[in-house]
Amino acid sequence: MFFEQLINGITLGSIYAIVALGYTLVFGVLDIINMAHGEIFMFGAFVGMLLISYFEAPVLLALGGAVLVTAAMGLLLERLALRPLRGKKGASHLASLISTIGVSIILENLAHHLFGAGNKPFPTSFADASFTVGSTTVYLVQVIILVIAVLLMVGLSLWLRKAKAGKALRATAENLETASLLGINTGRIIVSTVVVASAMGGIAGVLVGMAFNYVNNQMGLPMGLKGLAIIILGGMGSVNGAMAGGLILGLAETFVVAYGNSGYRDAIAFVAIIVILLIRPQGIFGQALPEAKR
Amino acid sequence: MLLEVQDISMVFGGLAALREVSFSLAEGEILGLIGPNGAGKTTLFNVITAFLTPTQGEVRLAGKPLTGLRTSRITERGICRTFQNIRLFDQMTVEENVMVGRHCRSRAGVWPSVLRTGAQQKEEGAIREKTRELLSLVGLTGHDRELAANLPYGLQRRLEIARALAGEPRLILLDEPVAGMNDQETAEIAALIKKILGFGITILLIEHDMSMVMKVCDRLVVLNFGEKIAEGTPQEIQSDPLVIEAYLGREEGE
Amino acid sequence: MINPYYLQIASFILINIILGLSIYITLSTGQLSLGNAGFMSIGAYTSALLTVKVGLPMVAGILAGSLLAFLIGILIGIPTLRLQGVYLAIATLGFGEVVRVLFINWESLTSGAVGIAGIPHLGRTMLAGLQERGFSSEQWGLKNNEFISLTIFIILLAITVLLLAFFSRLFASRVGRAFRAIRLDEKAAEAMGIHTTYYKILTFSMGALLAGFAGALFAHVTGYISPADFTYHRAVEILVFAVFGGSEVLWGPVFGALFLTVMPEMLRGMSEYRYFIYGTILVVMMVFRPQGVLDQPLLDRLRGRRGGGGDDAA
Ligand SMILES: Nc1ncnc2c1ncn2[C@@H]1O[C@H](COP(=O)(O)OP(=O)(O)OP(=O)(O)O)[C@@H](O)[C@H]1O
Ligand SMILES: [Mg+2]
Repeated sequence: MFFEQLINGITLGSIYAIVALGYTLVFGVLDIINMAHGEIFMFGAFVGMLLISYFEAPVLLALGGAVLVTAAMGLLLERLALRPLRGKKGASHLASLISTIGVSIILENLAHHLFGAGNKPFPTSFADASFTVGSTTVYLVQVIILVIAVLLMVGLSLWLRKAKAGKALRATAENLETASLLGINTGRIIVSTVVVASAMGGIAGVLVGMAFNYVNNQMGLPMGLKGLAIIILGGMGSVNGAMAGGLILGLAETFVVAYGNSGYRDAIAFVAIIVILLIRPQGIFGQALPEAKR
Repeated sequence: MLLEVQDISMVFGGLAALREVSFSLAEGEILGLIGPNGAGKTTLFNVITAFLTPTQGEVRLAGKPLTGLRTSRITERGICRTFQNIRLFDQMTVEENVMVGRHCRSRAGVWPSVLRTGAQQKEEGAIREKTRELLSLVGLTGHDRELAANLPYGLQRRLEIARALAGEPRLILLDEPVAGMNDQETAEIAALIKKILGFGITILLIEHDMSMVMKVCDRLVVLNFGEKIAEGTPQEIQSDPLVIEAYLGREEGE
Repeated sequence: MINPYYLQIASFILINIILGLSIYITLSTGQLSLGNAGFMSIGAYTSALLTVKVGLPMVAGILAGSLLAFLIGILIGIPTLRLQGVYLAIATLGFGEVVRVLFINWESLTSGAVGIAGIPHLGRTMLAGLQERGFSSEQWGLKNNEFISLTIFIILLAITVLLLAFFSRLFASRVGRAFRAIRLDEKAAEAMGIHTTYYKILTFSMGALLAGFAGALFAHVTGYISPADFTYHRAVEILVFAVFGGSEVLWGPVFGALFLTVMPEMLRGMSEYRYFIYGTILVVMMVFRPQGVLDQPLLDRLRGRRGGGGDDAA
């Protein structure tokens, strides 16, 4: 029982981590909280669901489709709701927050009109396949999710560390102005950051569909909220923090549901926010930066 | 001593912007803080006003340590400042900017403000009166109703000084008040500084314009790479080999 | 002549104006609260439960609901407001959701998703009280339901006018100047001796109080509440009132609430696309007119005056 819960928790946590990485990437580079990330995640889940249940596509294809659609959504989001605000005189730090809230509401309604309300089944051929290790039952889905999640995180870390784009991205994350002085094309970095972050949201959507076997148009908000809780927990803009925070939240939720009251599962993220704000406001992996100079 | 800066160090990541800087100011004195670009002058202002918490060291005002106080409390104790990159409330009028500066010397809270009590009305009148006085002192009479953002640069600097004075400081910190000004404007600000001294307000002045610094300051402290390299009268500083080297070593010198 | 239907819409406009004010006051120090639907629900549920289950008089219920929202506002505000603005937005978003989850799950108290019905009705209670003293609607030439709608409208109108007077005086004072200074440049405001944390908590908890108050009024005007009345969408709707109408002048949220409540009533069939439109408004306003439709220069022009600004209603 304990080990099964542990595996459940790690599976869920790795999905959370991917969602949170989407927030962290955008926040790290742009200093913006993308409030539409949860809805982009939801669209990824729907695209995966459509491909799998109507076109009987294999999981990899479903993932690919979700990545394409959500990446395109990221591109549009950046063009229409973020870029016009950048460098605009008099636009406060709230402007991008508010415009992405607008996008999230539009997307949620769009999903409602396109896909209808209520749960839609997300059938995978291997939904019930499982094997036992000792006395512990492990579902194949869990293994697949974990493998994809780990590959994704390793890939992202490598990309951030090694690849040229990754280097530029990190320079941008350190300081947008310096980066553009150094001749780094910040405009392109910003677009690719939002696109990559959105695609990660899309992948997370398909993984959630696989894990829970259904999707619905209300799933964006709670997942978005959890992603936000995780980046506060792990430290705003910290990649390691997002991964660790995701695991912590996934495990905490799983064990509270297993040994406590399932109705309050979604409240855990919020409690975590408040606790972390009280005891370590910069988050587990965040650095307490001195005030920006002016 | 009105202000004592003692062993202040400020480290950003790996960069030590200030290293064990100490000096003090007597009441009524004007002290110039000079040094090449990036020497740590503004950082020191930020430490004194608690915009930054120093890595080490202590600042005292009239013998009382300011450690742990937030910026607004330090302002209440009598240290007001201007900013190197002007930080006016641009979408407020000139008059309102100065009125905000008066915040720490007035008290009306929510209820008196809503009920418009006699005391509140009187206080509000006094704030306006003081504002008029200060605007005329810095030469901004007639601009009261303009938006701060629409003022020309030189007048914005004056408005910042008026706003700082509205807090009735014992010590005022001026960060490059004549940067980017021509000779005549500089002379006017120098005269204004003398007037402020005349009110018994102590001044700590950061300035790159050497001829002005030499003219108005009683004493100078020189920073280079975060370290105090000299302290003395303008004459002493002018002939100090370390100072000359610090400036010449950086070529442009200003 | 007195049409209960129009009066009802007018009453909802007034409640929405109070809600618009609740977010406006928080925005006045540059803070974004996404939890106002949560505070609204706290006010509504507290007052509904106290009147229905405990039998307290309505006024006591409304006051208790507002007060509880205020206190919880302070509790949420203290840890989050010491930090950057985005923390508050996230924490309040989470807060709103948790409150809703709590009301859904705490079935023994709140009847869960079903909600609470039979909440004492503002207009009917007034009428009953007056009837005990020998009054009847016919004396005014009104039917009972006309009298009820009219009473609600008049009470809400009086409250709204009082609130507007309260805030227009507040914003024209030292305190209001401090709010605006904080919104324009928090650090510079602090250097003026403004205790920015105090004022931020003040405006945030005042916003919570107002939202709780509006929620309590809502409960007693509709007579029925459920968690579905207080979703994240409600919080966004409240935000849209201010962002669309104008978030820098007191008349902004008033105009926003008025316009956006009347619009869907006039264009039938639009309500299906309501949130679609709200979302679009948020994006378009941020791109083209971040301060909202009404701002100080526009108000000055409307009043036929030039130059200057911020004499009243900052
Ligand atoms: N908030 C900060 N974070 C990191 N580094 C900082 C910060 N503030 C200042 N510095 C660094 O500290 C050093 C000193 O800066 P400071 O602004 O105090 O110099 P200054 O003497 O005022 O120079 P100038 O004459 O150009 O105004 C610089 O290298 C600067 O980059
Ligand atoms: Mg400087």
